[in-house]
This record gives sequence, C-alpha cells and structure tokens, in this order.
Amino acid sequence: MDLSHLKNKIAIVGVGYTPQGKIPGRTAASFHIEAVRNAIEDAGITKDDIGALIVYRHFDAIAGDYETTAFTIGEQLGVSPAIISQEHQCTRGWLFNSIGLLNSGLVNYVVISYGDNARSGKRSYVKELSGGKATDELAAYGDLSTMAKYAMLARRAMDTYGTGPDVWKEISVAQRRWAQLNPIAAMHGKPLDYEGYYAANMVVDPLRLLDATPSSDGGRAIVLTTAERAKMLKNPPVYIRGIGSANRPVSPFKLDLEDDRNAATVSSRMAFEMAGIEHKDVDACELYDCFTYTVEATLRDYGFFKPSEVKEFITAERLGPGGELPVNTSGGMLSEAYYMGLTPVAEAVMQLMGRCGDRQLGKVPGSKTPEIIVCSDNGGVFQSHATLVLSRED
Amino acid sequence: MEKIRATEFFAPDISADTAAFWEGCKEHKLVLQKCKKCGKLRWPAAYLCPNCLSDETELCELSGEGVIYSYAIYHKPFHPSVADKVPYVVAEVDLKEGARLVSNIVDCELSELKCGLPVEVRFIDGEGYARPVFVLKK
Ligand SMILES: [Zn+2]
Repeated sequence: MDLSHLKNKIAIVGVGYTPQGKIPGRTAASFHIEAVRNAIEDAGITKDDIGALIVYRHFDAIAGDYETTAFTIGEQLGVSPAIISQEHQCTRGWLFNSIGLLNSGLVNYVVISYGDNARSGKRSYVKELSGGKATDELAAYGDLSTMAKYAMLARRAMDTYGTGPDVWKEISVAQRRWAQLNPIAAMHGKPLDYEGYYAANMVVDPLRLLDATPSSDGGRAIVLTTAERAKMLKNPPVYIRGIGSANRPVSPFKLDLEDDRNAATVSSRMAFEMAGIEHKDVDACELYDCFTYTVEATLRDYGFFKPSEVKEFITAERLGPGGELPVNTSGGMLSEAYYMGLTPVAEAVMQLMGRCGDRQLGKVPGSKTPEIIVCSDNGGVFQSHATLVLSRED
Repeated sequence: MEKIRATEFFAPDISADTAAFWEGCKEHKLVLQKCKKCGKLRWPAAYLCPNCLSDETELCELSGEGVIYSYAIYHKPFHPSVADKVPYVVAEVDLKEGARLVSNIVDCELSELKCGLPVEVRFIDGEGYARPVFVLKK
C-alpha cells in the first residue's frame, strides 16, 4: 500500500489540557469541553472553525453522571460541525478518519477529544457484569477484567521470550523517572525504585498494581488541519509523516503472540514505510501504555528489538531521561494520566513543538532535540491499533 | 502451596449463538460448532464460519483434551461476590481438535502451572447451568 501521497499533508496544531489527577465534583463531559476549548485556543482557531468533532469511546456513566456522547459535547460547546462522531468500544479509527475528512475538503479542522471522571467516580472497568449479572459468557469463569486478557499474553511472552516482572519494572521505573520532570503528572514527587515496584500487590498474576495504569479525572484534546493551513497558525506545526492503522478483531483469548497479522505489527510497518524511516531515525516513542507489558509488546511488534533480546533492550536507562530511546516522556499513562491515545499523542506534539519544560528532549541532559517521534494508540486488547510518525519538518 | 479449588462464579448470559455450547455443558459434553464446508471448529460461537462464511454448521463433541496456551491468576477480586474465591485461574486452552477456549484451571497448585501443560475437561454444575473447567493431566 503506497500512502506516500499523504506524507506531511496533515498537521497537529493545538493541544488542550485540563486540570488532571483527582478533580472531584465534575462530569466527564466537563473535561471534554474544557479540553476542546483549550485546544482550539491553543491552535488559534474559533469553535465555529471545528468542521469535525470526533470523541473517543466513553465507558458507562458513573457517580450520578449522565451519558457522555458526541451530541452532548457538541451541545455544550455550542457547535454544529459537519461531522460529529464517537468511536464505539475501543476502535481506533480517528486518525485515518481525520485525514480522510481533511483531504476531502469537507472540513478544515478536526478536533479529537477524551474526558472522564474515572478517578473520583471510582470507575471499575468491569464490563463482564452489570448489576451483579453476567453480560456474556466470561463471568461464568470469573473473568472480570481487561487486565487478565493482557496478563495472559504477558504470561505467554514470559514463557516464550523470557520476559517478566524484571523487565516490566524497568518500564515502570523509567516512566516514573520521566514523571519527576513533569509537574502535572500524577506521580510527580513520588519517585519509584525497583523495590517499590516489587512491593506492589499482585492483581492478576503476572501483573502487579504498578503494571497497570491508574485512572484519572480530566481530559485532553488535539486539533488537526491541513499542512497549508497549519503554516499560517501560531504554533509550529507537527506534521503527520507516517500513519498506520490495523485491526485484529478476534476474541482477546485468540490472539497469538507470534502472528504477523497482529495490529501493532501491521500498523507500524505501514507507518514506517509511508514515513520512509527506519528505527534508528526515531528520536523518541510515545506509546499507549495501559500496562507495562503493552509498552514492551508495542516496541517488540514495531521491530525495535528482537523478541529474544527483550531483557537487554528494555532498561530504565535506555527508556528513561537521558536514555538512547526515550519512551513516554510525560510519564505516560502509567505515571502521568490516562486519556487513552491522547496521552501519547499530545506529549509527542508538545515535545516536537518544544513546549515540555524540564522534560523537554534536547534540554534533558544526554538527550537530543527530537525531529521524529513515533506514537501508538491501542484499543481493546491489542485488537485495534494506530501508529503515527510525527515530524517537526515537512 | 496454594491449592486452586473449583468454585462457582456467575451464571453465563447465553445468546442464540452460544446456546448449543451451554446445552452441551449441561450434559457434561464439550460441544463446539464446526463448519460443514471447510471443517473449521468455531469458538466463540457465531452464525457463520469466519473462515469461509458458510452457514452450514454442525455440532461437534470434543475429547476435552488440550494444552494451556496461557493463563492469568486473579488475586484481586474485581467484584465483592468473588472476594472469597481468589486466587483463581482463568486460562486459554488449545483443544486437541483445534479450537481455543477460555476456561478455568482447577484442582492444582499455583506453582504447577505452566504454558503448554496438557489438560483435560471436567464439568462443574452451577444453578441452572454447568461450565467446563480443566485439570492438569497427570
Ligand atoms: Zn468454513
């Protein structure tokens, strides 16, 4: 598939943040609309410029909240975009959809948003039960978590490649080191060592509490437009040099570790080929890290290391501040905040715009100013995947 | 050593697609759909064969023998009603006849578990249903 005609044609031009961490007394929608307001202000456009509003999937309303839909968010922003949509479940189509919409000329600006009150609302993420009754077959086996589905692939990788907690602790510690440089990260001021990692409770063996992303209140939004328009806006544009998208819509239990149809593998090949880059050209990775193991699996499936070399490759020194391959420089979902794919994408954009303060690559001792950052967005249990190769230069 | 015992969780929510499987379980038979056209075993259950899209389906009783592809050990109860049931093991089992199934491994020590171990099916009767679980083959 030749996607080279799309290279550097679309740019990300604005990022919107909200207060994050534990922010009680607010609806999920309030975080979406605050993030969108801040993103369009950051991009220097008005709300009437929003041609398409694409909202991430939303879990069930919690804590007395109402359902968070794209209609609600549109209403609360007072906008009437040509396109309004919401990703159902955990599909990751927003990237290609945005590019299609912008290239078609139907819309000039696309806004993507995510928001939740998961932390204050104590979201359980158990979808196998509703009101204490099974919603499908899985509850009959006591399988009540997404975490177990990831844990099974992690276990298989332990047996096949020799990975395990001694590798995942490196990811956990590396990202926690980054969080110490990011004042808005949930784990800022809470350093972690290996002992602390091992001391965390086992939740679904082989995964511990610190292998999993904690939930957050807050939201995040980004603005995309064409390269021509991007050049006239106030922020330095961050160009989409390569994109990949792939799905493996099978039951998570049927995913095989060694399968070249895996979504991350297919998606990354597409993106690297379109961008015309090799792994050595990548200055940093901002990866969807619902679990530590997801970072390992993504780097492996993207071809950054050979499966058998996992222990040598994944070290806190390499991935952390000053390392050879910085990964999740905001702290990631594990140590900054969980806003689905917008945690990694927003951080990559901010790094390439040079707006990252103490954690800015190029300023962190031993790091270089980034030209190319690779991002991943992962949905379901490795079932839906998008890859972005973002670049400072067009 | 922690011994994993068989326990009952929740009655499954059964659909038109999965009904035959759960009917089989009631008779302590492991029954999966099989495509009449291409011969592929099907799990999860569905109306068409995802391999060849044929709707010609037969039911196939399996030996109940397989190997563990992988497994996860629940230490945290994700619902108050399973608080007294942890730790328990959810596993993916590759059946001899060529389908993968999600189930539990019971009657074993946690330290005995490994990917690739041979297992065989047992059935546990619950209220109004039965479910397959697997034990390590000695
Ligand atoms: Zn068939």
